[in-house]
Amino acid sequence: MSLADKLKDKKVLVTGVTGFVGEALLHRIIGELPGTTVAAIIRPKGSLTGTDRMAQLLKKDIFKPFYGEGTPYADAEALTAARIQVIDGDLSDVPELPKDLDIVVHCAGDVSFDPPIHEAFTTNVLGTKSLLERIVETGQPVHYVHISTAYTAGRRRGAIPEASVEHFVDWRTEAEAGMAMKSRIEEQSRSAPMLAKFRKEAEKLHRRAGHLTAAADTERRRTEWVAKRLVETGTERARSLGWTDCYTFTKALGERVVEEFSGKLPTSIVRPAIIESAVQSPHPGWIEGFKMAEPLILAYGRGELPEFPASPDSVIEIIPVDHVVGAICAVMATEPELSKPEYYHIGSGARNPLTFEQLYAGVRAYFSKHPFDLGERGAVRLPVWKFPGGDSVETMLRYGERAHKIADKIITSVPRGERTRKYARELDVQKRRLDFLRRYMDLYSEYAQAELQFIDDNVLALHNALEGDDKEKFACDTAVVDWQYYLQELHCPSVTESMRRLDVVRKKRNKALAESAGVLKKVEPSEAKVVAAFDMDGTLLSSNVIETYLWMRLPELDGPQRAGEIGAMLRKLPKLIAAERKDRGTFLRTIYRRYAGADLEELNQIVDEILAEHVLERLSGAAVRRIREHRAAGHKTILITGAVRPLTRPLEPLFDEIVAAELAVDDRGRCTGFLSGPPLVGESRAAWLKHHARQTNIDLSKSFAYADSHSDLPMLSAVGNPVAVSPDVSLFRAARAARWQIVDWKTPSTSSRLELPGVNVR
Amino acid sequence: MSRPGFVLEVDDRTPPLLVHNGEGFLLERFPQGTRVVYPPEALPPVRDVDEAIQNALLNPIESEPLPELLRPGMRLTIAFDDISLPLPPMKKPDIRQRVIEAVLELAAQAGVDDVELISANALHRRLTPNELREIVGERVFRSFFPDGKLYNFDAEDRDNLTHLGQTRHGEDVEISKRAAESDLLVYVNVNLVAMDGGHKSTSIGLASYKSLKHHHNSHTMIHSRSFMDHKASKMHHSAWRMGEVLTSHVKVFQIETTLNNDIFGGPIEFLQKREWEWSIKDQASMLGTKRALAAAPAKVRHKIFTDVRSNYGLTGINAGAIEPVHEKTIEAVHRQHLVEVQGQSDVAIMGVPFVGPYNVNSVMNPILAACMGLGYYFNSYRGNPVVRKDGAVILYHPVDYEFSQLHHPSYVDFFEEVLSESTDPATIEAKFEKQYAEDPWYIHLYRTSYAYHGVHPFYMWYWISHALDHCGDIVWVGANRKTVERMGFRSASTLQDALEMVSHSVGRSPSITYLHNPPHLLADVR
Repeated sequence: MSLADKLKDKKVLVTGVTGFVGEALLHRIIGELPGTTVAAIIRPKGSLTGTDRMAQLLKKDIFKPFYGEGTPYADAEALTAARIQVIDGDLSDVPELPKDLDIVVHCAGDVSFDPPIHEAFTTNVLGTKSLLERIVETGQPVHYVHISTAYTAGRRRGAIPEASVEHFVDWRTEAEAGMAMKSRIEEQSRSAPMLAKFRKEAEKLHRRAGHLTAAADTERRRTEWVAKRLVETGTERARSLGWTDCYTFTKALGERVVEEFSGKLPTSIVRPAIIESAVQSPHPGWIEGFKMAEPLILAYGRGELPEFPASPDSVIEIIPVDHVVGAICAVMATEPELSKPEYYHIGSGARNPLTFEQLYAGVRAYFSKHPFDLGERGAVRLPVWKFPGGDSVETMLRYGERAHKIADKIITSVPRGERTRKYARELDVQKRRLDFLRRYMDLYSEYAQAELQFIDDNVLALHNALEGDDKEKFACDTAVVDWQYYLQELHCPSVTESMRRLDVVRKKRNKALAESAGVLKKVEPSEAKVVAAFDMDGTLLSSNVIETYLWMRLPELDGPQRAGEIGAMLRKLPKLIAAERKDRGTFLRTIYRRYAGADLEELNQIVDEILAEHVLERLSGAAVRRIREHRAAGHKTILITGAVRPLTRPLEPLFDEIVAAELAVDDRGRCTGFLSGPPLVGESRAAWLKHHARQTNIDLSKSFAYADSHSDLPMLSAVGNPVAVSPDVSLFRAARAARWQIVDWKTPSTSSRLELPGVNVR
Repeated sequence: MSRPGFVLEVDDRTPPLLVHNGEGFLLERFPQGTRVVYPPEALPPVRDVDEAIQNALLNPIESEPLPELLRPGMRLTIAFDDISLPLPPMKKPDIRQRVIEAVLELAAQAGVDDVELISANALHRRLTPNELREIVGERVFRSFFPDGKLYNFDAEDRDNLTHLGQTRHGEDVEISKRAAESDLLVYVNVNLVAMDGGHKSTSIGLASYKSLKHHHNSHTMIHSRSFMDHKASKMHHSAWRMGEVLTSHVKVFQIETTLNNDIFGGPIEFLQKREWEWSIKDQASMLGTKRALAAAPAKVRHKIFTDVRSNYGLTGINAGAIEPVHEKTIEAVHRQHLVEVQGQSDVAIMGVPFVGPYNVNSVMNPILAACMGLGYYFNSYRGNPVVRKDGAVILYHPVDYEFSQLHHPSYVDFFEEVLSESTDPATIEAKFEKQYAEDPWYIHLYRTSYAYHGVHPFYMWYWISHALDHCGDIVWVGANRKTVERMGFRSASTLQDALEMVSHSVGRSPSITYLHNPPHLLADVR
C-alpha cells in the first residue's frame, strides 16, 4: 500500500509551515499525498494574518504548479479551500485545535543556535508542552510527530542509538530557572555599578557630543549587555550539563516533554541532523534562507575565512531537506504504540559519511571553478585550510582581536586626515570579519569537531518498507547521495546564486557611489524655509581653538613674550587635549581664560588688519562655494562656532547669522577671561538650531548642517541633510553608519600652518 | 655692446637647452632642425639713473618741463604701475621709487602740498602695505601711507569714480575721481614689454569695470593681434580712444621707463646665458640649483622662487605727452626684445616660468599658467604668430591644482563652475561674466582683502582666446592631466609624446620653433 493510500483522508496539523522544513513538507503533502489535508498553525506577523501569510507562501514558485491550468484547482484560494485549513495562532499560546486531526507534525522551533535562554525554553520546551496539551484536549488518538534534532545527544561521543537520550535533568526545574533568568539579568543590568560602568564606557566615546548622546549610548549598551548575557547564560547552562549549546539543550528537554506525553498519544520523534538544500524535490538545490553552513560557505568564497577550527576527519552530518521530508511522510504513516515512542535519526554519517575535509575540498573546488566576482580585482584568492586544530585557530583569532583593539585605539587618537579615515575604514572591515569569525567559531566549533555517529537503522527500515514508486517520491536513504556532486552542482550554486545577484547590484551601486563620493548634490531652492548651518574650525578652514588663540595674541606681543606664550601653550597641551576629549565646553573656557586683559576692540582690529587675510587664505574654496550656493538658493546661512566672535569677522559677509563665543568685557572694554554665555558646543548647537527653527518657522528636515567633529553629532542629527566634512574617526564612523554624505574640504595647499601674519610673515 | 637676439637651428652639436617649467626648469633635447629664438642680451643701462630721470622731467617731449606744471595749491596725483610689473619684481630701489621721489622733490620745491599716490591696479588685487612700500620706498611710504595719501585704486568705490564721457565708439571712460579731478596726473610706468604703457596706463589702470569691459572682452581680445603691438591690437585701439577722452579732461604727464633684460643674476645667471656658453661655474650652479630644487619640498621651492628679485638696468626714461613718449618707449623696448624670425612654423614650444603678472607673491594657478603661456608668450609676436594657423602649441608647466584662496578666490570658482561647463570664451562671457563681476562676495574681497576682482579670471580666459582660435592643438608637457583637461587641453609626459600627439595635424616632421624666454623676447615674424 502506498503512502498516499495510507494517509488518504487524514488531516495533518503542521506547525512551522512557513519554515524551511515546514514549507517543503507542505509542498510534498500537496503534491504527493493527494488525499491528505493540512491544518497549519500560522502566527500573524505585523499586519498579516495567518491566512495572508499562507496566501503569500503559496505564491512562491514551488507551489505554482499546484494550481491554475491543468490542475484541479483554479487558483491558490481554491487550493487552500480544498486542502489547507489555516489556524491563526502562536505556539506561546496555542489556540484550540480542530477535533478531526489524525496527525500532528511539530516542525516549529527556534533554529538559532544561540537564542536567549528564555526564548529557547519558551519555544522548544514550553511551546511543545502547550501544543501537546491542546492535542490531548481534542480527545483524538492523534499520531504526534515531533521534529527534534540529532544533536540532542549533546557532547556525547561515538555511535548514538535511535532511542531516548540518557540524562537526568529535570526539564521543569530547568525551564523555571531559565525563564527566571530574563528578569534576573534585566534586574542586574539596572544595578548602580552596572549602569555606572555602561555610562562610563559611553561617555568615553560620546561625552564630547553631550550628555543625551552619551545617555542614549548607555541604554544601548545596557540592552545589548542583557541580550548577550541571556545568550551566554543559556550556553553555559547547556555546557554545564553536557550539551553544546542552548538550542540542543532545550531540544533535548523538549523530547522529555514529548516522552512524558507518549503515554497519551502515539508518538514518533524525528531527529534530523544538519538540513541543507534539496537533491530532488521541490527542485534540485532548493533552499530557503540561510542555514548553518551557508554563511561559512559564502565567507569562504569571499576569501574571508582563513581557517576553521574543525577536525579534518570529523564527520559533518549534512542531509538534504527532501530526504528529511520523505522520512517525515513515511513516519506519519507509521502507527507507534502508546508509551513507546519511536525514534528516527535522519543523518548521513552512519552509512555515507562526509568528512570536514571532503566538504572543504568540495566547496573549494566549486569556488575555484566559479569564483565570486567582487569587483575590478579579479577572482578572490581562496584561503588554504591546514586544519591546525581548534586551539591554534582560537589563538590566531585572539591575536587578531587584540591587534585590532590596539590599532583601533591608535586610529582614534591620531590626528584626523584622509589617510586616518582610510585606515579606520579598513579597520572596520577587519572588525566585521573578526566578529563574524568569532561568532561562527563559537557557534560551530563544537559541531565541526564532533565525533558522533547517528545510527539510522529505523529510517533505513522505513525507506526499505516503501512500496513501488514511493521509493522515489519519499526517498530517505542518504547513502545514495554523491556528496561532491551535491556540493559542487547543487548546494553551492544554489546558496551563492542570490549572493551573486546581489553582487551585481552592489557592484553597480559601489561604482555609482565611488563616482559620487565626496560630491555634494547641487542645492535646490525650496519652498520651505531652510537653513544651512556650518561649523567653523576644521570645517571651513583647518584651524583649532589653540591655534586661533595664538593668532590673535601673538601679533601684539614682542619676541620673548611670544616665546613665553607659545611655551605656556605647549606645556598645557597634554592637559588641554585631555580636556578636549572629555568636554569641549570646559576646554574652550580654559583657553578663553587666557584672553583676560586683552582689549576687545584691539582684538577686532588685529583680526581686521592682520588676521583676515590669514583666515581667508585658509578657507577651503569648496566650502565657500557651498555656502554661496546655499545663499543663492535662498537658504539662510548660519555659522555656529565655539570660536570667539572677533575671529568670525572676515566671514561675516557669507553668513546671515553668526553664533560665536562672546568674550565678556569689563567697563574699560577689556576681556575678563570669561564668556558672556556658555559656549555653543555639542548638544547645545542642536538645541539652538531647533529653537531657532521653531521661532522662525524653519523646516529642519530640509535643512543642511556641515561639521567635522564628533561633538557636532547632535547638530548633524538635527537636520535632514547632514554632511560630515573631513570628519574625525568617530564622526566618520557615525556618518558611514547613518549613510550621511562625507566630503573632504581641503585648506588650500598654498597656505602654511607655521606662517603667521604680523609675526613671521611680512 | 650687447649681442642681438638670434635664431639657432638645432643640430647634432647643440647641447640640451633650458626650458622654464613653473617653479623649476628642465634641460630638453629638441629635434634637429628646431629653431630656437634667443632674446637679445641685456642692453647696457644708462650710466646715471638720477641724471636720466632729471633730464626726462626737465626736458619732456611735447610738454612743458614738469616744474612749470607745478604750482602751489594745485591737486597733484601720482599714479604708478602696480605689482604686476616688472616680472620678476625688481631689486630695491624700484625704478618707480626713484622717479616718484624725483617728482615729489620737484613738487615740494614748487610748494605743492595736495599730493596723492595711487597704485593703478584696476581690477587687480590691492597691494599690501609691504608691497606698496617695496614699490615707492620707505621714505615715500612713511610720508604718505599713514595719512591715507598712498593707496590702492578701488574700482568698486562708486563715490570715488568719475565718468568722463564716451569715446566716438560709445565706450565709457570712467576712472578714479581723484585722478580725474586733479590739476595734474603724473603717471609713472614700468614699460617691461611692448604691451604696457601709452594710453593703457591711465585709461586701463585707473578704470572701473564699466569702462574696462569695452575692451576686456572675448571679441576684442580675439582680434588683438597681438597685444604686444598696440597698432594691431583692438584692445589698444580702444584704450587709445579712451585716452583721447581722458586727456581732453585731465592733464597727464606720462613718465615711461624701459628696462633691460638683466633678469637673472647671481647664482642663477645661467638662466639668461646661452647654454653652450655656460662656464664651469654656470654649469655647477645649474646642477646645484637643479638638485636643490628637486630635493626641496614644494613650499620651500615656492619660497625660493617668490624671493627672486631682478637687477634690471634702466635703458631709457621718457616723459611728457603720452603718445610721443610711448613711441620712444616702444623703440627702446623693441631694441631690447625684438628678434627677427623668418616665417611661421607648424609647432611652437614655450616654457611657462614661475611668475606671471598676477601671481607675484602668490601661486600660479592653472588659469594663470594658461594665460601666461597662451596669453602672453603666444602673443609675444609682431606681424604674424610664431605658429601657423591651426598649428600646434606645446607648453611646459606642471599646472598643479593650486589656487590661492586669498588672492584668487574667484579663480578657483571659475575653474570649478565655469570651465566645467564650457571653455569657449564667448560662451563663458555671455553666460557667466555678469554674475561673477557683480558678485557681492568677490567685490567685498576685492575691496577689503587682497583678492583679484571676481571678473578677473574671465579676462585671463579672453586673453588666451586669440591662441585658442588660432591653434589646432595645445598640449602641455608634464602637466597635471586633470587640470589641463578641465581647461580643454591635453597633457603629455614628454616632448616626444607631445609631438606624437600633435602629429595628426602637423605631420611627422613638423617645423618647430622654441621661444627661449624669459628673458623677454618679441618675435618679429616675417
